[in-house]
Amino acid sequence: MLTRVKSAVANFMGGMMAGGSNGDHSGGSDLPLKYPYSRPEFLGLSPDEVECSADHASRPIVIVKETKRLPWATGYAEAINAGKSALNEDQARCEVLVIKRKPGGNPTSSQIPMTRRRSSLPNGEGVADKYKDSPYLDRTEDLMLNYWALFDGHAGSGAAVMASHLLHHHVALHLQEVLEILCTPNLLAPTCLGEEPINHHLTPTSQRALTRAASLRGAAGAPCSPGSPPTRFFTEKKVSQESLVIGAIENAFKDMDMQIEKEKGVYNISGGCTALAVVCLLGKLYVANAGDSRAIIIRAGEVIPVSAEFTPESERQRLQFLAYMQPQLLGNEFTHLEFPRRVQRKEVGKRMLYRDFTMSGWAYKTIEDDDLKFPLIYGEGKKARVLATIGVTRGLGDHSLKVHDSNIYIKPFLSCCPEVRVYPLGQYEHGADDVLVLGSDGLWDVLSNQEAAEAVTSFLANCNPDDRHRYTMAAQDLVMRARGVLKDGGWKISNDRLGSGDDISVFIIPLTHASKQN
Amino acid sequence: MAYAYLFKYIIIGDTGVGKSCLLLQFTDKRFQPVHDLTIGVEFGARMITIDGKQIKLQIWDTAGQESFRSITRSYYRGAAGALLVYDITRRDTFNHLTTWLEDARQHSNSNMVIMLIGNKSDLESRREVKKEEGEAFAREHGLIFMETSAKTASNVEEAFINTAKEIYEKIQEGVFDINNEANGIKIGPQHPTTNSTLSGSQGGQHAGGGCC
Ligand SMILES: Nc1nc2c(ncn2[C@@H]2O[C@H](COP(=O)(O)OP(=O)(O)O)[C@@H](O)[C@H]2O)c(=O)[nH]1
Ligand SMILES: [Mg+2]
Repeated sequence: MLTRVKSAVANFMGGMMAGGSNGDHSGGSDLPLKYPYSRPEFLGLSPDEVECSADHASRPIVIVKETKRLPWATGYAEAINAGKSALNEDQARCEVLVIKRKPGGNPTSSQIPMTRRRSSLPNGEGVADKYKDSPYLDRTEDLMLNYWALFDGHAGSGAAVMASHLLHHHVALHLQEVLEILCTPNLLAPTCLGEEPINHHLTPTSQRALTRAASLRGAAGAPCSPGSPPTRFFTEKKVSQESLVIGAIENAFKDMDMQIEKEKGVYNISGGCTALAVVCLLGKLYVANAGDSRAIIIRAGEVIPVSAEFTPESERQRLQFLAYMQPQLLGNEFTHLEFPRRVQRKEVGKRMLYRDFTMSGWAYKTIEDDDLKFPLIYGEGKKARVLATIGVTRGLGDHSLKVHDSNIYIKPFLSCCPEVRVYPLGQYEHGADDVLVLGSDGLWDVLSNQEAAEAVTSFLANCNPDDRHRYTMAAQDLVMRARGVLKDGGWKISNDRLGSGDDISVFIIPLTHASKQN
Repeated sequence: MAYAYLFKYIIIGDTGVGKSCLLLQFTDKRFQPVHDLTIGVEFGARMITIDGKQIKLQIWDTAGQESFRSITRSYYRGAAGALLVYDITRRDTFNHLTTWLEDARQHSNSNMVIMLIGNKSDLESRREVKKEEGEAFAREHGLIFMETSAKTASNVEEAFINTAKEIYEKIQEGVFDINNEANGIKIGPQHPTTNSTLSGSQGGQHAGGGCC
């Protein structure tokens, strides 16, 4: 992504970027690193192995070691880029987390001030214990969740490394706040904590749920007779537990982004990153995506997309609207309108095709001087850029990213908000070859969903169902298909197409394990 | 650690011949009787000294199974040395050498030094391939040859180091283009001829700090 940014800027600025240094850590900062660059923790690579993994000439496909088995027999493989950046800017994380009740009880009380939570930013330890470290759990009150995430960094590896270390702690923190509601079957989220409960229950017969719900609301001695709920005279939105989980994940992304911004003052945190995180909780998969990584489910050979990419093209109208409302963000150098190509001075006064934020189709307008400015969104497909700088529109970090040689910040146009989709795992039967595939854009740039699904399905079909490496081998095979082999100086894949020159990271997560485990 | 050169090796040969054990014996000086099946590529590294120079060996251990062959092949190109291993107690692993060699010759750079290794020399009673056969094969194909035991460590050091000496000689003879990293050779930060560090007025030789 770094070079993508660079070359786009270079094109725009007439190639003035030539000879820029590619130092991944420094970025001109004298501040210390919070986390040193490395490969995903679960790979357990030594510094020598990390060095080997960064071999741009051979691009080794690095996989999970036998001794480092991942939960659910999850498969993982990665390969570094073909030379666009010195380091692999993708990062990955896989965790089993146990959300515990807050010490001192009353965990869902509304009394917890937001500021207190904010002031104690997670630093790699906290509410969420790793499963293996906590053998003495009160299973009835603790909530276990599985977590997988991919981060694709750009303009440095700092933000991706930091997010890979910390995002799951933010998720755990937010889930902890609603832990008791989530642990009560069939309960709708109480509208106001600590208030008299009303008829919130989906199943009125759920006596256990009711009493627990009443107790967790903590109203001291509030009389509560399940038979006669108090009457309300206004309608109220029903908020499901599922929505609470979604909200927790969304806020976790926001807090992660704020933490990066805050700690940039103390640490050197370079660049930004996309984030694709999957949480499996209480029989459901929550797929949260901010950026251009992608998740698909392959069930009985069929592709079920479970994420959508956020790119300058997919988010054009949001970005144009923002620029229209706040034109100062464009620094008088860009126009929020889109034209099919750059407008030339001699075309002023003529009528040309354009689109505004209100349109998905095209219309004609009379060209004015203002339309000669560089378009906010320019380029097509993978080459589309916001402010001639960046090719993804959601993610974490990038707080100091500016349009080259200007004072125009990119961050206001970026969103850290993920789209969270829910897949009800428990509602389907899954076979051993039904999997969730997470891939960074290095994978999807060269393979379609269908191609990836066919590759995985046929690989797993030819693989011993009891082989616990089968998902890792399938991931390795998929990375191989996207990377290709070196031929006549270029990376080539099947049908003589160009292989991906980007960092490629893939998780393959079997879906049968969820039912076994929960 | 600073080094004068880095040489990249690849270890190839049928599955079960002792590739991973050889690597472990060389890097960690231990033998692990039950080694996990290699299903991708694994790495090891060690520093050695040749001609008074520190040389870092970076060793890629590959999967021998047919199903991983295309992945393994893709790693030949960037290697300066290859250890081609067979098991002296399994004739089929010796019979497959021709295929391995063809593969290696086709996908590697032409100067790659290949060391033929007959491993498990400690299992004399179960020997199926005579030492002379190994020597003859090596002579015929222009390879260096040794019998080793990853278990007793016999000849393991020698196998890795002799390969490095051969590469080093080729560098001295000017056969290798050391500026092309695709040849599996990297000049270390302390090398006198390196121009990668902009040392300004200091100029010339100075011991470099950490690598990369
Ligand atoms: N006796 C003996 N056994 C060996 C030797 N080297 C490897 N082995 C055994 O051979 C088996 C396969 O070794 P491994 O290194 O995994 O082979 P690879 O598939 O080529 O990597 C293991 O059970 C080792 O214990 C050796 O030198 N002597
Ligand atoms: Mg092995």
